[in-house]
Amino acid sequence: MTSTPAVTIKNLHKSYGSNPVLKGIDLTVDSGQVLCLIGPSGSGKSTLLRCINLLETPDSGSIQALGQEMTSPDIDLDAARRQMGMVFQHFNLFPHLTVLENCTLAQRKVLGRSAQEAQKIALDNLAKVGLADYAQRKPSQLSGGQAQRVAIARALSMNPSLMLFDEPTSALDPETVGDVLDIMRQLAAEGMTMILVTHEISFAQQVADRVVFMADGQIVEEGSAQQVIGNPQHERTKTFLSRLLHQVN
Amino acid sequence: MALTVRQKQTYFRYTQYALLAALALALILLADWPTLIDKAFNPQIIAQQFPQIITVALKNTLIYTALGFILGLSAGTLLALMKISSIAPYRWLATAYIELFRGLPALLVFLAFGYGLPLAFGLRLDNYLTVMLALGMVSAAYIGEVLRAGLEAVPHGQYEAARCLGMSHSRAMISIIIPQAFKIVLPALTNEVILLTKDSSLVYLLGMSLAQYELTKFGREGITTTGAGLTPLVLAGACYLIITIPLGILARRIEKKAKA
Repeated sequence: MTSTPAVTIKNLHKSYGSNPVLKGIDLTVDSGQVLCLIGPSGSGKSTLLRCINLLETPDSGSIQALGQEMTSPDIDLDAARRQMGMVFQHFNLFPHLTVLENCTLAQRKVLGRSAQEAQKIALDNLAKVGLADYAQRKPSQLSGGQAQRVAIARALSMNPSLMLFDEPTSALDPETVGDVLDIMRQLAAEGMTMILVTHEISFAQQVADRVVFMADGQIVEEGSAQQVIGNPQHERTKTFLSRLLHQVN
Repeated sequence: MALTVRQKQTYFRYTQYALLAALALALILLADWPTLIDKAFNPQIIAQQFPQIITVALKNTLIYTALGFILGLSAGTLLALMKISSIAPYRWLATAYIELFRGLPALLVFLAFGYGLPLAFGLRLDNYLTVMLALGMVSAAYIGEVLRAGLEAVPHGQYEAARCLGMSHSRAMISIIIPQAFKIVLPALTNEVILLTKDSSLVYLLGMSLAQYELTKFGREGITTTGAGLTPLVLAGACYLIITIPLGILARRIEKKAKA
């Protein structure tokens, strides 16, 4: 297995006002790896994810992603973001555009692809998430699970080298979660580098190459899924996991 | 016998209807109809107003309104973008502009453009241009505020999603945020057009040739020349409604379609 780091984070700090949310995070994600960030809410995992593509500006520390120094003042942010897809908890599909237009707009306006080429790529990706028949629908006509699959297809249409998922199944009805997870599982199997914030512990157990447990803005424990979820060492991790498992059962 | 709450409400409503009907009836009975018809709805004078009231006055009202709206919408969009900008001087400038032009009566702005500009710069603008500037700059202040509210009503996640796809700030605004904001503010924007239609009557301040008369001026002239009461103004009023009521209906249609 190759191990060029796709993302390297060093000593990352971030506060909102006087409230520190990230207190010195060091993290490396290798190409082709699937990394799951877990932890209680307010632990800073979403903020950490959003720092990687600079949706949040870190106070100090450095982030290297896909060979680019994201924290450098010279960064071409738009160019860097083109290479990383992001999937949000609330999908954030563009409601005034059709499903197909959602997937073609950035291809055409950002990558300069022709309408025809963009459409072909979009339809391929919609087929991949099982929604090619929905190309002409508006987002308001989709269920939550379908909307999230479209959001994944939209991100994939830009041919990213890294995918960031911010609690992609937290806003979904339980019966549609599986469809979304299946697509993410498939992406992982294809070798996509993925970083995801999730509460789906069993998914993390099956798919993640590495699991990072965060609490209070710090990484408490990290390792393989077997280590962190199967055999947690820290008290915080044990408490968190047992609470989560009790909720599920 | 005690009444239920619902019965009480029903009777209360019927009492309201009855009072309203009585009031209308009283007004109808008390009015001096022969005089009223002669002075305000005189068929002969109505006939005299045609066809100019349509071919000149109504047409000019529409032209002035359209000119004002074109400038008002473009400048208003710019103001709204400036108001939500992260660059402080842009925000200050837009706020100052909006406070000034929203706070002044449109009549004063017309006078400033019609008489102030020539005084200050020795500049005499074409009447149509003056109208466009005066109406446009006043409505830009209102439209700017309306659009700013619309832009802020679009969820921030929309902007984030656009930027995450590699779109620049301007591309995200043009393709994603502004189209959604327009949909949100459509009812308020229709209101602005209707207000603008009526404000176009202030054009009379500029002094103009017969061919440039709009509805209100045309009606006032009609009173002077016919010397026969209010009929020309009543007719002009009807013409305003011919413009504004369909606008309202159109906006409701578009709104319904946008929601579907």
